[in-house]
Amino acid sequence: MYAVLHPSNFFAQAAAHQSPELRKRPFVVLDGEPPTEMVFAANHVARSQGVEVGMTRLQAEAFPEVTSLRRVIEHEHKAHATLHHVACMFSPRIESVEERPGTYALDIRGMDLLFGDVGQLANKLRRSVMAAGFLANIAVAENFHAAVSLACGRTGVSVVPSGCEAHAIGQLPVTALHLAPEHEATFAAWGIRTCAELAALAETDVIARLGQVGKKLHSLARGAWPHLMFPIEPSFEAGLVERMELDFPVEELERLLFLLSRMTTALLERVRGKARAIAALRVVLRLDGGAQHERTVRPALPLQDTATLLKLIQLDLETHPPSAGIVGLELHAQSAAPYRAQHGLFLPQAPEPGQLEVMLARMRKLLGEQRVGSPELTDDHRPNAFRMVPFEPPPPRRNERQSLSTPVALRVSRPPHMVGVALANHTPVRVFWDGAAYAVRDAAGPVRVSGQWWSEANWCREEWDVRLENGTVERLCRIAFDPRSRCWYLQGTYD
Amino acid sequence: MPSAAIIRVQIESTLAQRVPAALTLKIKHAPEVFASGMAEVDAMLGGGVPRGTITEVSGPSSTGKTSFALCTLASITQLGNACAWVDVSDALSPETAAASGVELQRLLWLRMSADRRTKLADKPWSRLEQALRATDLLLQTGGFAAVVLDMSDVLPQHTQRIPLGTWYRFRLAAEHARTALVFLTQSPCASSCATLSLRCEPAAVVPFSSQGETPLFERQQYQFARERNRNESSPFLQRKPAQRVNWSAETLWSRVR
Repeated sequence: MYAVLHPSNFFAQAAAHQSPELRKRPFVVLDGEPPTEMVFAANHVARSQGVEVGMTRLQAEAFPEVTSLRRVIEHEHKAHATLHHVACMFSPRIESVEERPGTYALDIRGMDLLFGDVGQLANKLRRSVMAAGFLANIAVAENFHAAVSLACGRTGVSVVPSGCEAHAIGQLPVTALHLAPEHEATFAAWGIRTCAELAALAETDVIARLGQVGKKLHSLARGAWPHLMFPIEPSFEAGLVERMELDFPVEELERLLFLLSRMTTALLERVRGKARAIAALRVVLRLDGGAQHERTVRPALPLQDTATLLKLIQLDLETHPPSAGIVGLELHAQSAAPYRAQHGLFLPQAPEPGQLEVMLARMRKLLGEQRVGSPELTDDHRPNAFRMVPFEPPPPRRNERQSLSTPVALRVSRPPHMVGVALANHTPVRVFWDGAAYAVRDAAGPVRVSGQWWSEANWCREEWDVRLENGTVERLCRIAFDPRSRCWYLQGTYD
Repeated sequence: MPSAAIIRVQIESTLAQRVPAALTLKIKHAPEVFASGMAEVDAMLGGGVPRGTITEVSGPSSTGKTSFALCTLASITQLGNACAWVDVSDALSPETAAASGVELQRLLWLRMSADRRTKLADKPWSRLEQALRATDLLLQTGGFAAVVLDMSDVLPQHTQRIPLGTWYRFRLAAEHARTALVFLTQSPCASSCATLSLRCEPAAVVPFSSQGETPLFERQQYQFARERNRNESSPFLQRKPAQRVNWSAETLWSRVR
């Protein structure tokens, strides 16, 4: 059994819902880009004065008493939300009728225990809709489409006993069946005006002339076209939230972990029910004093493991602790399909994703954010330019070893050490570094390098490769002279 | 012969409770190794750097420790394995690593922070302690084919103060995780925990090239001496390898020339 709620002239009602003083006065709702705005909806008073939908703005303004409003989509969304809210009070299974804006169909089977028989339920539903500020027609029927047609075609409350659908909608005009324009013209040409007249035609004849659409229209006119209900379900993602209020501010994170564990487990249970995993967890801590502390934990792969997620949250909050006592907790989860990989016996070794994530979080806590990861060379002329990227090793695969010669590795001094250099004939002959004097046995250079001369961050230096000797110690270094600071620096040591 | 075989079986069955297979030759498995990619060094090491053990490469500055370690990591990452570089002095040059052939995406670089704490705490000890904790975490996580603990710039008096128990723990963890743990130090510190110990020595000096207008540093000669190799007695090695080997490395710009 379906109860259909249809607010006639929904767009005008939605506009009037925001400004109730307009209800008794004529008004039109204009839509489109200025200056080519058209009348999109008009209330009953305006239409009785001659305003029609589809008029231009100038034509509408020719009526002196008519007020013009602009169409506001948010107002329509609000009106939809209000009607949906009212419908939710009468049934848990609700379907929005797409082709008729503002219309909702309620599955009211079994609701008689709560709201009385179908007639009482329909009247209560209409009163609730009116209390919410809308005027709606209510129709109750066994057949979904018959109820929709009745709600759209008949004012007030209509209750159709089971099996009498064809008779109930028989007096409605065929346009109540939501016809396509060409079929409307066809029926007008045939002289078919009501549903009863359409239902009286032989089905095979209608199909022979209109095709399969004819079968559907004939069944609709008889109130016998079946319908599979698709109830509106609350968004699964939006529901993945856990909240908790605390009686007094808590400063120690360890005490919160018990609560976080419970909340994470609850979220994971819900996520597992849909065969999914948690891809990201947003922790919102409401602090004493009104401030908020927000952190997001985003594992490299979706996880289904409470312990790992909890450890990641703990390490993240320990690395970025809140500034005050915590009075409220919120956990927002984002779900994703769980990670599945086909492992092989003969594949190279790789860290297990969950453990790797926890280990990287621990390392970040121990060393700092920018000190853990993989180096990535940047497109820059500056020697040894690189940036740190998160460590995400690609799937194991064997590469052919390139037969390159072994390069001499440079150990970079970060930051460069300042050294003293004695020159002879513009060539370094002695280097003073770390309290020791080194004689230069070999020197190669200078190599002048510079970059970013167009900006403030320009750099320039003269680099030398030198072989230093101090008694028994010998080292091979790269030193550089910075002409701006007039200083010598040790860039690195070859090893 | 049959009587000898019977006596052997009798002795083994008698001692079975205390010593299983007392008189049977224990089959020693060939050690799993990662080739370093340098033929002469691999020949001396009996195939390369052993897996699941500690390899210690020690020597003063500019003796090729980093070049050797990067070359080994290049071979390992090109096999598709993940590796880690625990950098006590934050001295790794990603450019050189890429030039050696290391797949940087498979390399986890842990840079010990000198500037994170207060200046008072910036002693070699704080960074060493961080490095040891980081290595411990890496070994506990497992999955890394090789971990290089680079202590090349740490003075020997500091590395030698690290308790021996740390190295024993690392050895067990490396064995469990099947990780080749490589230490780069100035002087040996892991003592008997290291399965393979290499000493880097200064080799013959190659003078800078003077073919062009200005001299150019083009190549460097290195020498490795094998101090210890527990896998040496393996019956799979037919010939006793050399104790010392010379190898050379060249600069990036000499490749272009």
